[in-house]
Amino acid sequence: MSVKKTFLSPWRSLLFFVILLATLVWLLPFVSAILTSMRSNDDIITRGFLALPRQISFNSYKVAWTRGGLSHYLPNSFIITIPSLVLTLILSSLSAYALARFRFRGNRLFLYMYVGGMMLPFQVLLLPVFRLTDALGLYDTYWGLIAFHTAFQLGFCTFLLRNYMRTVPGEILEAARIDGCSELRIWAQIMMPLTLPAIAALATLEFTWIFNDYLLAIVLLRTDALKPVTAGLATLQGQYVTDWTVIVAGALLATIPTVLVFLFLQRYFIEGLTLGTGK
Amino acid sequence: MARRINLSRFVPYFFLIIPLLIYLIWVIGPTIYTFYLSLTDWDGLSQPHFIGFQNYEKLFRDPVFYISLKNNIKWLISFITIPVVAGLALAMALSRSIPGERFFKAGFYSPMVLSLVVSGLIWSWMYHPANGLINSVLRSVGLDFLAKGWLSDKNLVIWAIIVVAIWRQVGYVMVLYLAGLAGINPALIDASKIDGCNAWNTFRHVILPLLTPVTVIVVVISIIDSLRAFDLVSVMTRGGPYNSSSVLANFMYIEAFNNYKMGYGAAISVVLFLISLVFILFYLTRVLQDELEY
Amino acid sequence: MKTRLLLLLSLVLLLGVATACVAPQAPAGQPVEVTKIVEKPVAKQIVIYNSYMSDPAPREADEALVKMFMEQNPDIEVVHSTVAHEDFKQAIRAYLTASTPPDVLTWFAGNRARFFIDKGLIMDISDVWEEQGWNETYPAGFRALSTVDGKQYFLPASWYWWAVYYSKSTFEKYGLQEPQTWEEFLQVCETLKANGVTPLTIGTKYRWTAAAWFDYLNMRVNGPEFHINLMLGKERYDDPRVKKVFTDYWAPLIANGYFIENPAAYSWSEAIPFMANGEAAMYLMGDFIRDSYPQEQVDDLGFFRFPIIDPNVPVGEDAPTDGWFIAAKAQHPEAAKKLLAFFGSKEAQQYMADTLGRLPTNMEVDTSNFTDAQRQGLDLIQKADFVAQFYDRDTTPEMADVGMNGFMEFWDNPDSIDDILARLEAKRAELFGE
Repeated sequence: MSVKKTFLSPWRSLLFFVILLATLVWLLPFVSAILTSMRSNDDIITRGFLALPRQISFNSYKVAWTRGGLSHYLPNSFIITIPSLVLTLILSSLSAYALARFRFRGNRLFLYMYVGGMMLPFQVLLLPVFRLTDALGLYDTYWGLIAFHTAFQLGFCTFLLRNYMRTVPGEILEAARIDGCSELRIWAQIMMPLTLPAIAALATLEFTWIFNDYLLAIVLLRTDALKPVTAGLATLQGQYVTDWTVIVAGALLATIPTVLVFLFLQRYFIEGLTLGTGK
Repeated sequence: MARRINLSRFVPYFFLIIPLLIYLIWVIGPTIYTFYLSLTDWDGLSQPHFIGFQNYEKLFRDPVFYISLKNNIKWLISFITIPVVAGLALAMALSRSIPGERFFKAGFYSPMVLSLVVSGLIWSWMYHPANGLINSVLRSVGLDFLAKGWLSDKNLVIWAIIVVAIWRQVGYVMVLYLAGLAGINPALIDASKIDGCNAWNTFRHVILPLLTPVTVIVVVISIIDSLRAFDLVSVMTRGGPYNSSSVLANFMYIEAFNNYKMGYGAAISVVLFLISLVFILFYLTRVLQDELEY
Repeated sequence: MKTRLLLLLSLVLLLGVATACVAPQAPAGQPVEVTKIVEKPVAKQIVIYNSYMSDPAPREADEALVKMFMEQNPDIEVVHSTVAHEDFKQAIRAYLTASTPPDVLTWFAGNRARFFIDKGLIMDISDVWEEQGWNETYPAGFRALSTVDGKQYFLPASWYWWAVYYSKSTFEKYGLQEPQTWEEFLQVCETLKANGVTPLTIGTKYRWTAAAWFDYLNMRVNGPEFHINLMLGKERYDDPRVKKVFTDYWAPLIANGYFIENPAAYSWSEAIPFMANGEAAMYLMGDFIRDSYPQEQVDDLGFFRFPIIDPNVPVGEDAPTDGWFIAAKAQHPEAAKKLLAFFGSKEAQQYMADTLGRLPTNMEVDTSNFTDAQRQGLDLIQKADFVAQFYDRDTTPEMADVGMNGFMEFWDNPDSIDDILARLEAKRAELFGE
């Protein structure tokens, strides 16, 4: 074993450098975004894009926070994202459990229905969903947006969790059933913990998506005071003139929550390895 | 005893009822409504009038439809290959302990968190023909002939956008595979090593089969996402120059929201839906047949 | 580890439910924005105002106007939302058909407003026009723009002109004069090119900059009457007169390399740097170019009327006009009318003219403080025989979409003009009927 390890070592360091290089290339656009946010619009117009800032200025961040209204859009984003995320995860894990672990009439049909719902470009649903929201009296409220986010993400989440849930060995569940566990308890106390890596990964992706949505927010909300940060930032885009440095600065500030969520949750889709060994 | 069995037959429906109800109301309902709208001349304001299959007849004569479809196919082929392989490779590499793996993972995921508007903007600047990063680098190493107008050349533009899409997609696929790898029992891998499998064989015969459920997700998502591709095109070129980078979702959007032909837009969506359905059904029925029954 | 995470998840869940419950329900028509004044005994009137003035300078002016209005009318609260211009164009269909539409909205004057008026979605505001005396204080042209079947539905706001902008310093350097005629213009282009300066910059990524070239060339060659009839679908795109515009005037400019390379890679403002740093010299553009031009160089910008090609043809100019209307289903029509009356007042129009450098529609506005550019722009328009809105406003959105794609294809491939015009003609025939 130890011989093997020393043999692999040069490969490992090569791998390390290849990945390092790739990561740096991958981060280039991100870095340019950061550099852009520290420049002024005039500087961009006169000296071109992707130049190093002549002088570093955090003014765009300040403008994004105050005039750009980030301070009041950001809380809205959380009010919309967190309930949508929680509801989607719970509801989809319920239906995923049923689809993954039970044979019953309609199983395949429901599964295809969930997958099928993802196949329309959602933009085409905008006006029908707007009509529905208006009819239900939810137009221009957080709830309309939360309801559609929850429902729309259900398809993908159910499909994903169903597949992960099928990888859980059946004996564990059988053992619990023999012990007299109710199905609800099996779902909550066995299935959920065992699919934790998938749920954590899903939560990361879903948070990113719901948080970054803006088309929906524009159509389902008309009052500025309710808008999430993406829709709020978009209002800085003019017909002709757009304050790009402020938009970029604002967008970078808006990535902070999603980055934190990723950093926090990522260990759960890694540490699954150790959880597995404990079993 | 008999009563208990009867009840247990309803268990899966108990689990399904609430999510399914919500899904039916908010997604399936509007979807069916969209199917209906595709048979009308709805402009988003007035009462829709039923016009039969006129929208479809028009669509199949529309050259933009075929340009868009071809672009979607290019996108699809790129998407089910490059990001899937790269994402899997990254997940494999980063699931073992490598110094700085957290930084690497965050780095590859970073394109996902950056708003699409900003991603599109920054990439447009990277592609800037005169002084963008890409052409500057090419010129500085003497490859001037390769320095092109990436977003203004009708043959290159769709590929230039697909590159950005891949740049975003890799981190996404990586996360899905990482979660899949985390669910694998390490005892199985150890066992294969003891059996004398080398790293490649372990991967090929143990890990990859165990990752099949994840791969199914990744492939299905890649198909759907590449056929529904919209945002990057809308931000970077709006389908230009003269429709050469148009994709179906973008074509639909321009017809529905710029030209106010909601009925026609709905017809485009339905066709897009049917194309996806063909791919998905073909793939899923094959995979699901192989699934073990529990 | 597991229990810790479960605990955490349930905490997040609780938090989620809590925030959702606390989340204000935002009942229709009530401002969610917390008013600073504590519990007034008299309920404030409300007016909901959605605006697409999302460009930085107009947005600030728009917000200032709303503030001025609320100071003068302490009993009215304006719930003001600014929406990105592009998004607004899409969301307006939702706004106008919602059971709780905004009361006052910004929009384009002319055809685009007419579309909603015909659908009965815009309120008749003849009474406001009457009360405010606008029938006298607004020029007949603007009144006509707001009137359908003798009733007024629209309030035109400020407007701006299009012209060929140029860098004064570059012109000076090569001893160039503002060209008046097409020959002079071509001479200027030739001189610049001989000196290694690209005569014209343009960013055609979003296409409308190319549409401006079509508008002007067509108006100068065939006259504004033919142009507007073409826009309205009454003339054919495969008419030889249209083809002449492309083959005799536009194509040579492209073939001679008078435009910068790869214009389709740039948005209109991304093409400004070529002009600001002296690589290019001229830009056919609207006056909003001033807002994007580097501030320390803005005094270097001059402009001249698009050169005359045929002196026998009446002069047409593009001068797009925006404005406001009240939604037919407005929930607060009284307060909305007050707000509109204010927007159209001398005071508000004066403020817009002075802060934005645009031109007011209300003739009472005092012009003594106008900048030289404003005077020159006003003069330009007043000397015109006809004022058009702009390609994508004068024709239908769908025709404009296909048309602008045609212009872009022509740019890349001037030889295929016959195919392109045949396609445009097919679309015109489909949309306007034969």
